[in-house]
Amino acid sequence: MTAAVDGRDVIARAHLVAAQAMTPRHGKRMLRWAGWGIGLAALVAMGCDLGFSSERLLAGMLRAGHLLTLMWPPTSAGQAGAVFKALGQTIAMAFLGTVLVVILALPLGIVGARTIVQQPVIHFVLRRLLDAARTIPSLVWAMILVAAFGLGPRVGVTAMVLAETPYLAKLFAETMENRRQGVIESLQAAGATRLQVLRYGLMPEVLPLMTGKALLLFEGNIRASAALGLVGAGGIGVLLDTRIQLLQLDQVAWILMLFIVLVLTIDLSSQALRRRLINAKSYNLERMDADA
Amino acid sequence: MLELHNLRKSFGRTMAIDGVTLRVERGEMVGIIGRSGAGKSTLLRLINRLTDADEGEICWQDRDITRIGGRALREWRAHSAMIFQRFNLVERLDVVTNVLVGCLHRHALLPSLIKSFPAEDRARAILELDRVGMADKALQRTETLSGGEMQRVAIARAMMQQPSLLLADEPVSALDPFNANGVMNALVAANRERGITVMVNTHTIDLARTFCQRLIGIRAGRIVFDGSPGQLDRGLEAELFGNTMLRQAA
Repeated sequence: MTAAVDGRDVIARAHLVAAQAMTPRHGKRMLRWAGWGIGLAALVAMGCDLGFSSERLLAGMLRAGHLLTLMWPPTSAGQAGAVFKALGQTIAMAFLGTVLVVILALPLGIVGARTIVQQPVIHFVLRRLLDAARTIPSLVWAMILVAAFGLGPRVGVTAMVLAETPYLAKLFAETMENRRQGVIESLQAAGATRLQVLRYGLMPEVLPLMTGKALLLFEGNIRASAALGLVGAGGIGVLLDTRIQLLQLDQVAWILMLFIVLVLTIDLSSQALRRRLINAKSYNLERMDADA
Repeated sequence: MLELHNLRKSFGRTMAIDGVTLRVERGEMVGIIGRSGAGKSTLLRLINRLTDADEGEICWQDRDITRIGGRALREWRAHSAMIFQRFNLVERLDVVTNVLVGCLHRHALLPSLIKSFPAEDRARAILELDRVGMADKALQRTETLSGGEMQRVAIARAMMQQPSLLLADEPVSALDPFNANGVMNALVAANRERGITVMVNTHTIDLARTFCQRLIGIRAGRIVFDGSPGQLDRGLEAELFGNTMLRQAA
């Protein structure tokens, strides 16, 4: 009884103090939820046409089951050498692609970072160009390039560079923008030149983060290079493509097993590396907080 | 009543807390003083178990809380509110929601996840904000506040937890003297008007002298002084703060 009275009293007093804060803005929130609901409904409606009918799904699953039996037992069919060579080519493509992308994305990222190049026109034009270039995926680039220059890993690497440079440049730019302005100001206040500010104020903070992003890109490139091979742009995908066409699924299974092992190994080691880079950083930040 | 028995905590090879035994009565206002790195923060964080002790015991009202977990631990943490040096508010939420965070522990999970709070809690949050002079900013986004305002919101959040113990970890060292006084006065008010036991860390000794009845000096993880501000003379003070302070004074 007293508790209820007390509660009502509290509410009445709060209304006197700040009535506007007592009524949470339900209207605005409902509107936002309605917007999300409509968007979601539209997405579901568009999905109706994707052919996910139940009987087709069942037939497809049966067929897939049959194909799975064709995959067993996996065999190299005496072509282990060629497969390993193609895997090596895949790694080389991914590595070369990543290195080229990083080299190109670094200057673009620096120019694209609002906090470094304070020239709104350059910034705007570059950012929009990067946004536009980002819309074309590497597979589409590869198809165009294969048509123009013929087959081969060179085309695969070029496709990666074209598709991923804008992407990484944007990530780099954002990483550099998100740094604490105070550090940069302290170097400016010490009379450092623009390049010295980059070297001492920015690099130590953003380099581990950017290396992490480049490693993530490398992981993705290994997987992407398999897809690029399917359109004839070199690497393990080419071997997969021919064997799928000939329905030599036992050989496909053997290659896939190796590929999975490769991707897992690279993902795990790059993850460990990234964790070390980033943990070292947060450790330092923690120490700074403790000292303060 | 809070009792610590022979607490120890090390980080790697550094002994942060090295055998602390301490008894704080209900309703005391205790200042914990010492230089940076003496172990003041670790001591408070051991009490609300944000950090776990290597050895020793922590008891509140004769109940051992050193090894509780799960719901019991969450309840103890709500019971022993903490205020941080850098405020640690959620800057992208509005002010009143930040205060309402203080009563999350009393609520069912689902309504709390869609930010739905009973009118009474909302009302209490506004009244707590009013007590620290922040009610008019209740709907403002927290990142737009100044440091002093943020710390007052943090106090409102702590009070919302309806704590019996308030742990303030360097609550004013990021603030200017005027705001520092305001925040310290709010801690005193919590202590006097609500009978909350307050333990406040600070390396500004004059502030501790002015606002606390009991001072505990820590150096290298050990208690080297425990008494009233009057008992802490300049010599002890210099010892507490180590050679650097002596050299500065000379």
